[in-house]
Amino acid sequence: MNLFNIPHNELLQHLINGLTLGAIYSLIALGYTMVYGILKFINFAHGEILMLGAYAGYYIYYFICDPTQGGVFVIFAFIISILTAMVCSASLGVIVERVAYRPLRKAPRLAPLLSAIGVSIVLMNLAALFFGTKSKKFDFPFDNSTLQAGGTSITPNQIMILAVGLIMMAALKLFVDRTRLGKAMRATSQNQSVAALMGINVDFIISLTFAIGSALAAVAGVLMALEFKLYPTMGQMAGLKAFIAAVVGGIGNISGAMLGGIILGLLETFGVVIIGIPQGLKDTIAFSALIIILLVKPSGLLIKNIREKV
Amino acid sequence: MKKLLAVLFSFMLLFALACGKESDVVKKGETIKIGFLGPMTGDAGNYGKLMSQAVKIAVEEFNAAGGAEGFNAEVIVEDTEGKVEKANPAIEKLAGVDKVFGIVGSVFSSVSLAVAPKAEAAKIVMVSPSSTHKDLPGKGKFIFRDVMSDALQAVVFGKYLANIEKVKTVAILYIKNDYSQGLAMDFKEQFEKEGGKVVAIETALQGDKDFKTQLTKIKGTSPEALYVPNYVAEIAQILEQAKQLGIKTKFYSADGFSNPQIIELAGELANGVIYTQAAEQPTSQKRKDFEAKYQAKWGEKPDAFSLNAYDGAWIMLNAIKATAGKGANGNLKVDRDKIRDYVAKTKDFDGASGKVTFTADGDLVANIGIYTAENLKFKQLKMFKLDGEKLVELK
Repeated sequence: MNLFNIPHNELLQHLINGLTLGAIYSLIALGYTMVYGILKFINFAHGEILMLGAYAGYYIYYFICDPTQGGVFVIFAFIISILTAMVCSASLGVIVERVAYRPLRKAPRLAPLLSAIGVSIVLMNLAALFFGTKSKKFDFPFDNSTLQAGGTSITPNQIMILAVGLIMMAALKLFVDRTRLGKAMRATSQNQSVAALMGINVDFIISLTFAIGSALAAVAGVLMALEFKLYPTMGQMAGLKAFIAAVVGGIGNISGAMLGGIILGLLETFGVVIIGIPQGLKDTIAFSALIIILLVKPSGLLIKNIREKV
Repeated sequence: MKKLLAVLFSFMLLFALACGKESDVVKKGETIKIGFLGPMTGDAGNYGKLMSQAVKIAVEEFNAAGGAEGFNAEVIVEDTEGKVEKANPAIEKLAGVDKVFGIVGSVFSSVSLAVAPKAEAAKIVMVSPSSTHKDLPGKGKFIFRDVMSDALQAVVFGKYLANIEKVKTVAILYIKNDYSQGLAMDFKEQFEKEGGKVVAIETALQGDKDFKTQLTKIKGTSPEALYVPNYVAEIAQILEQAKQLGIKTKFYSADGFSNPQIIELAGELANGVIYTQAAEQPTSQKRKDFEAKYQAKWGEKPDAFSLNAYDGAWIMLNAIKATAGKGANGNLKVDRDKIRDYVAKTKDFDGASGKVTFTADGDLVANIGIYTAENLKFKQLKMFKLDGEKLVELK
């Protein structure tokens, strides 16, 4: 027993559950934060891009193989379907930006926001129309039997979520910090017109940002579908939560989004267990966190490390 | 000014009266409309789809047999998505625009409880094929159901677990909707009365997909069994995540489990779950015929609620036929109160689901079956009747 009067193994179990949830939130939050960093606008269709990515992965996966067979080929098929899902979502993200946001880039800030909400509604209902509203089961490509250790259990899928989440975030961080394109991206986020004067193709960089954010969302979508099944509204709540995670971490800041996601996942789990918030009010935790952060530290936990534009 | 208002009001009154009269007449060449109210889309869409298909068969048969005085019936299907906020406009449409004489529905208890007062006010006979909340029949004279009450289901199951399966400790995980909460609370009360102990009671919201926090807490209390009286989308997630967390207790559920979609979503995990549902009556020829017809027309098997929906539709169509009479200019005169009284008198109606008898309240007189899923198929294990306080097994 410990401070909270909860057995250690149970606490550890909650930690694992919270971290996996957080890893998914982080992956989605990255998309919000990257777009905000560059365009200063919230892409509310992000959750739907995630959902469509998951569907793309699902259909390709079941097209290539029969997952109930098991074996190496299924794992191979799964990797291919994740990659294709990333490509599909990335293209969709770019198209959405081109069609719904670019024409409004000079418009008042409310206009692209409303456009984003519109795109979100359209995509969700299209998905419901074409794929049906029933939940679909996304079979695991591997044996998802629980691994037990001293009363605490973790599933291979949870390990995969944590690992994939970590790899993706590390790769993105390296890309943004270490490559020329990443540098161009940071420059664009600081000042678009000056970046353009320096010979950076701003339109291309913005498309790239949408593509990367959407590809990450597709990965999160497939991981979510494995864990929580596949359905047209899956991106809605996840998208909102990830948006909160991005704000909590400091919107526009990539490390902040990762941190915010993990914090939110842990908060949702431990808020119920330790503070004793009724489980039925679990969703309010995230929104309360948003309100508190906006009141106390509107810039988020990690402040973006650039000086105010003059 | 006053005069103007008076004139205006008398016109409105006249209009209202005219409308009221109008709704009880089916004009020549028009159809007798009944409604179906249930989730056609969304997570629960499969429930509504299966049941509405059953109602359509009943209406087809009714028309093939000549209808009422040569008037054909028609079913208007309205989608609730299983949500109260979607159901309200749907019932307004059925009552105000379509002016239906009866409604088969609604499917979920929360929705039925919400729309019942409106059906009552519009004098629409409502027969729910699947809303099991104990308060529903008490909502009005026009409200019936041909599915058994949760109170009965929960009481019998509480007694059964404590006295027959001799389970001592149970944890409950229910979703915050009228159906699940009603069952969970009634079950808890009964189970504790029988000397059992509820060691953990956890809740979640409808639409939740992640139950790991609740299940981890439940695991810490190591119960002998877990009672999950929810709908299939949630039960499937719970079964899967419980397995992932290494929970190896027995699982118990209620009739929400009986939708075949559970097999699709949970697969092998559905095997061994024990649940309650209205006792299966000896398979009648009527049921076989209906199932064959359903399979032939829709290419899938009807679930237990579809049998209820089919019977409910027939009960109200029979009532309309028996009470309606030819009016002036070849119109059909329908009396809503008479329909209601006719439906209320239903006794030993020979339906596909078995014999249907309504209590004075409009509730179903029922025996309870204990079922399980075995090799991905549903199977009845035992059958019980509540005789006062005693549980009597029927052979």
